[in-house]
Amino acid sequence: MNVSKLLRKLRYKKKLNSGQAELLLDLQERRIFSVHQELRFFLYIGILMIITGAGLTVKQYFVNLGDPAIISALTLCFTAAFIYCFVQGHPYERAEVASPNIAFDYILFFGCAFYSMDVAYIETQYHVLGDFWENYLLVSVALFFFLAYRFDNRLVLSLALSTLAAWFGFTLSAHRFYFENYYRLYAIAYALIVLCCGVLLYRLDVKKHFLDIYLNFAAHFLCIALVSGVAEYKILSLYFPALLLACAALAFYAVKVRKFLYMIYAVIYGYIGISIVIVDQIHRQTFLLFAYFIVTSILVIGLTFKLSQRFKEQR
Amino acid sequence: MKLNLYPPQQEENIYIRRQAQAWRRSGLITEEQLSAINGYADPQLRQTNLFFRILFFVFTLLCTGAVVGLFVWLLDFKDTSFVAVMLILFGAAFYMAAEYLAGKYLLYRHGVEEALVIVAMVLFCAGCGILLFENHVTLIQVKTVMPALFAMTAYWIYLRFGLLYAAAISIVALGVIPFQFNLSPATERLMLFFVLCVIFVFSLHVDQPDIEDFRKDKYAKMQACLLMAIYLTVNLEILGLVGLIMMNTHVVHLNPKLFPPSIYWSSYVLTFLIPAAAVYWGIRSRKRLIINVGIVLACVTLATNKSYLGWTRYAWDPAILGIVLVGLSLFITRWLNSGPDQKRFGFTARDILKPEEGGITPADVAAALTPGVIDAQQPQAGTQDQYFKGGSSGGGGVEGEF
Repeated sequence: MNVSKLLRKLRYKKKLNSGQAELLLDLQERRIFSVHQELRFFLYIGILMIITGAGLTVKQYFVNLGDPAIISALTLCFTAAFIYCFVQGHPYERAEVASPNIAFDYILFFGCAFYSMDVAYIETQYHVLGDFWENYLLVSVALFFFLAYRFDNRLVLSLALSTLAAWFGFTLSAHRFYFENYYRLYAIAYALIVLCCGVLLYRLDVKKHFLDIYLNFAAHFLCIALVSGVAEYKILSLYFPALLLACAALAFYAVKVRKFLYMIYAVIYGYIGISIVIVDQIHRQTFLLFAYFIVTSILVIGLTFKLSQRFKEQR
Repeated sequence: MKLNLYPPQQEENIYIRRQAQAWRRSGLITEEQLSAINGYADPQLRQTNLFFRILFFVFTLLCTGAVVGLFVWLLDFKDTSFVAVMLILFGAAFYMAAEYLAGKYLLYRHGVEEALVIVAMVLFCAGCGILLFENHVTLIQVKTVMPALFAMTAYWIYLRFGLLYAAAISIVALGVIPFQFNLSPATERLMLFFVLCVIFVFSLHVDQPDIEDFRKDKYAKMQACLLMAIYLTVNLEILGLVGLIMMNTHVVHLNPKLFPPSIYWSSYVLTFLIPAAAVYWGIRSRKRLIINVGIVLACVTLATNKSYLGWTRYAWDPAILGIVLVGLSLFITRWLNSGPDQKRFGFTARDILKPEEGGITPADVAAALTPGVIDAQQPQAGTQDQYFKGGSSGGGGVEGEF
């Protein structure tokens, strides 16, 4: 029995109506072939390449082009993109709103990226805000949040959350990757703020489908910060119980809503944290070290197996 | 002789269920209809979701690694040959455990049995390699035999467990062999090209129209990977870009201009022919993966075209490629939407089948990284950027010194 035969059988037994069966057979036998996802993918890649190319051009030729040309070109691009979105976009709704067309989400994202580039360029060249230059990031965060919610755009929400992270001091530059105490506390503060925002908006029934993005940002920032704290202070700090609590909460949430991505986060971060503490105690006893990894990995496999059975994940 | 552990109908039922879940997700069938389909297509195998599968895989790897480590430490071997034999025995034991779990408990893509066979393969091959070394076999023989051994064991795992990545490991291991004989770079490339083409033709031969749907799906994935591998073998300028960044002009692989002109220009022609053939074949046979791979390869061809011709690279080259991609995507969307019933030749831009969502998508991650890239691209006031001076560098770098 293959898919086509089964569909014909279900149509014969009146479990599928003929319209449904025809459509599914057309899809299965590729008489209808949707390239929607492919078109979206290549549109997005195209937009990312335009952003990269524009950034590189500005970086290389800013002296030749001159500030007025660069600033006016970038401003024109993002203004045109925003005007297009406000003219073409559907009215605001609290629930999920479909995009008016396939390119809409990417045009908004393009506008936001060019806005960032423009503002960053002006600030780099003219130091408008002086010592308070990082505050332009907050203005960008506010704008991106507004646009993300106004036009129901996940990409712009991700942009907003990472811009907020940049305001907290987290950038892609290598020297900021060290989790010194200073950044660790900032990471925890950032994670808690993002978590509270996400949960609050979810409770208020505002774009409930955005919650996953908030949770992913919050979970990683919080857990990485706590694990780095455990690595430094081992068991002698609040980081360890806080990490256990965070992982327990993630596992509980994963089970409750059956989103097992969070279970991976809980198990991996929790295991790393516990292992750091235990290995610190037994690292001179090789036998115990191996035994620890054997016993705990079997334990994790067993518990995961039980859990997956409980939720009838296994067939 | 039946090689695969799982009967074809069971795997076909899994494929049917996966299709039915996609239809349900896209609102094409109801929950009751999904249950009815699931009732007809019971695979009678134990599966788990992707996230649990990853957990099972990771922790089985950890456990097996610790078991081998503990054993080697406890017995404190001095004799290397004995360690090699122990590794082979451990490999055999893990393999048998995987077979037992898959046979007795009907585990299918469960993570545990997958990790066991992968560890078994690595231990077995490592043990054989140490034994070969111990028996005074020359280094070149070891370097030839080891990839061949990996290729054979991985292929056996593919035949037995049907794991596609085992087939990929097998092909990669096979692809390493031509580079072990100290041949000329052109001969190495030609040999690799020949080997990959033979495998590709073989995959076309077994991909008959009357085979099961799950096999068609599997072969399409394999053919897409092989096409990519063939393209990467043919395109000399991909490694050339690395050479350009590293300013290395002496190593032939990193400076493709050192290849004989006939090879160089043949490869140039092939970089256009392969993507074109892939897109054409994908559209004709309606193989989604092949179409996607063809388009991605076409983009790579456009990105390396200037290197082949020795033309100057500019910072705005990525933007031009981006504009071409956006323009083409919009043109195709409009063209399809303006057809009768929003279709042309069966192709449609309508969103019919929704993809599975796991919380956060790669697109979200790329969007989150954008501010960092923009930050890195900001010029320092009053200093003209020197990185791309002379136009001889690639346009894809963000901050690296060329």
